[in-house]
Amino acid sequence: MNPTAPIPTIYILDDDASFLKSAERLLRAAGHPVEAFESAQDFLKKLSPEMCGCVVTDLEMPGLNGLELQEALRKSANPMPVIFLSAQGDIPKTVHAMRRGAEDFLTKLGPKEELLEAIKRALARDAKERRQRGRLQELRTKFAELSARELEVLGHVVRGRLNKQIADDLGINERTVKLHRTNLTRTLQVQSVAELTRLTEELGLFKSEPPAE
Amino acid sequence: MLFSEGRESPGSLMLEQSLRGEMQRASTNEIEFYAEHLDASRFSDTNHYHLFQDYLGKKYASQHLDLIVAVPTRNYSIVGELPNLVFPNVPVVFVAVNELEVPSNLSKLGVTGIIQRFDLRGTVGLMLQLQPDTRRVIVIGGVSETDHATLNRIEEVAHTVEGVQFEYWTNRPIAELPAAVKDLPEGTVILLTTVQQDVAGQRYFMSQVAQMLVPVANVPVYVLGASALGSGAVGGALVNAENLGTQAAKLASQVLTGANPKTLPIQVDTKGTQMVDWHALQRWHIKESRVPVDCDIRYRPETLWEEHRNLILISLAVFIAQAFTIAALLTQRRQRRLAEIEVLNQRMELAHVSRVSTMGQLASALAHELNQPLGAILRNAEAGELFLQKDKPDLTEIRAIFGDIRKDNERAGNVINRMRSLLKRRSLESDPLDFHGLIEETIQLARPDAQTRKISLTMRVAPELPLVLGDRVHLQQVLLNLMLNGMDAMKDCRPADRLLSIIARVTDEGIVEVVVKDRGTGIIADKVSRVFDPFFTTKSDGMGMGLAISQTIIEAHGGTIRAENNPDRGASFIFTLQPAD
Repeated sequence: MNPTAPIPTIYILDDDASFLKSAERLLRAAGHPVEAFESAQDFLKKLSPEMCGCVVTDLEMPGLNGLELQEALRKSANPMPVIFLSAQGDIPKTVHAMRRGAEDFLTKLGPKEELLEAIKRALARDAKERRQRGRLQELRTKFAELSARELEVLGHVVRGRLNKQIADDLGINERTVKLHRTNLTRTLQVQSVAELTRLTEELGLFKSEPPAE
Repeated sequence: MLFSEGRESPGSLMLEQSLRGEMQRASTNEIEFYAEHLDASRFSDTNHYHLFQDYLGKKYASQHLDLIVAVPTRNYSIVGELPNLVFPNVPVVFVAVNELEVPSNLSKLGVTGIIQRFDLRGTVGLMLQLQPDTRRVIVIGGVSETDHATLNRIEEVAHTVEGVQFEYWTNRPIAELPAAVKDLPEGTVILLTTVQQDVAGQRYFMSQVAQMLVPVANVPVYVLGASALGSGAVGGALVNAENLGTQAAKLASQVLTGANPKTLPIQVDTKGTQMVDWHALQRWHIKESRVPVDCDIRYRPETLWEEHRNLILISLAVFIAQAFTIAALLTQRRQRRLAEIEVLNQRMELAHVSRVSTMGQLASALAHELNQPLGAILRNAEAGELFLQKDKPDLTEIRAIFGDIRKDNERAGNVINRMRSLLKRRSLESDPLDFHGLIEETIQLARPDAQTRKISLTMRVAPELPLVLGDRVHLQQVLLNLMLNGMDAMKDCRPADRLLSIIARVTDEGIVEVVVKDRGTGIIADKVSRVFDPFFTTKSDGMGMGLAISQTIIEAHGGTIRAENNPDRGASFIFTLQPAD
């Protein structure tokens, strides 16, 4: 990982100042960099793609509540994992939050180990997702270098079509197909069709097209 | 009716009245009475007697008389010879009160009658019984033949009484006596007999002498005739004119219905009727216990009961009826009050249940309220432990942690106190309380719930809001109930419209008015008047008691509560409270 990359930080949100302070104190004592916010709005204003770590938020807050914050974060460029802390166990809300990918749903009265474990998991997940997002970003950059025709040929290749069939389909000759294939494997730095298929799937390419024949 | 005495003689008058009344009563016919008076005491000469005889003969010549009733006092001429001459065929019945011997020729003339003797023995006996300390009896009498006869009888009685000296004042004119009786020694009594004529030749009726002497005498006076009673004399065994009249009337009736007077013997009655004057008993301090049981006590003032018996009975009846009515009304009122108290108790019970259910509604919000400080305490404590594990613990930080723990602990305690005071089962109390503070506290209770429902709470309180008189917990319940209702009413509103206002103001009359105003759906127009009815509810999960209980509580505080729709949107609930002073 890039040494200039930011250190994973716990972003903690609660409208209750005294709980906010106590939680911040605990996480700091446990060795985490912590940033505290009294409302979701304050946090979203500060949110940037460079920030990494996880969000620990109260469920009930004036203005945007925890679930609404989760939604906003999910749609943002930096979908950090969210841990909910609630002063009361509300089952429908818990289910809702978990479905939307909450890392954990904890009560405020749980032991610190519960919270610290959840944070540990969330940080690992953030790091992993961040790496994946980095790789995908790289791939997207590489795919962006492909010409329209190369992309078209790639689409046929990952669906298992032979060069001759591709040439027929596109109304070009087989040699030209081969040339496109050589170019795109060089650009994407892949050796096998299997690897090509995996990458396009990872990026979600060609999904909507109906299978041939 | 022939009388020896004049018309004004009290004894004769009493006897005449008694006779007339008794005879008329005994007869079925209307009896016509004629009374003639010889007036022999004042006109004693024979000439007068003859004139009277002629007068009667001429006056009644054409009258048919059935009976002559004669009342002689001096002699029996008006019983025997006079009627025999003037009314030869008319039967005669006489009534005499004296001590004279009966002429033997009377019965030969076919006359019958009753002779009443003075009961001298009875009178002296009564005197000694009432006043056993009597040592001296002064006997006042006259000089006429009848007077002497009486005095002779007294002497006979006096001989039988030991230890008492009898003194006879017959040689002193009556006119001198009032001065003589003023200063008599103790142990003396006066016995007044008949004074048909005194030494000075003056004629008196017994009642006249009594009236002259009794008021001035310093000792008690006893008399022989009922006519003298009432003058202040103590009394005696008296000639009872009424009794005498009754007996004579009986005799007369027998004769009138055909009985032959010759066959009816002349009756002689020596027994008098014992009578005393109540006032005289008082004057001489004679105890009533000394008075014989068959003695008639006259002139006793009627007791209130005797005098106003009917009035008292009627008053008593009215009073009892009133008492019953009042008792019935009181019972009714008591029963009504008991019923009211019962209703109030039930409402209070419901108020408690309602508070508990209100708390149930708030429970999750309150759990949140409580878990915040508890969570903070936990995190602080955990952080503190971690800090202490370090090589060089940051003591400033740890001190700050302890401070924060204490603050959060207080905060949790306050939440619990608020809940507990609402949950306690209690009766109504009345204290002056700051309603502004109460509104703030209630808003704090409801705020978590309001936050969850995205409802803004605003408060507007008049700057000089006076203290109100009331029960903190019950009034808070009313306010909380109205606020929760208002919040429920706004659940379908756009978030921007969800505003609940609590307004407290003072009216011109100085009454505190509290308004809870929502911007919800309002109340359906024809239901506005019914919202306070028990079991009225528009909520699927409502019991319909909240507003009914609120009304009970407010009315128990002497206030009113009403609901109205706002001009723009939503409804307002307005209640009033009395200021504390």
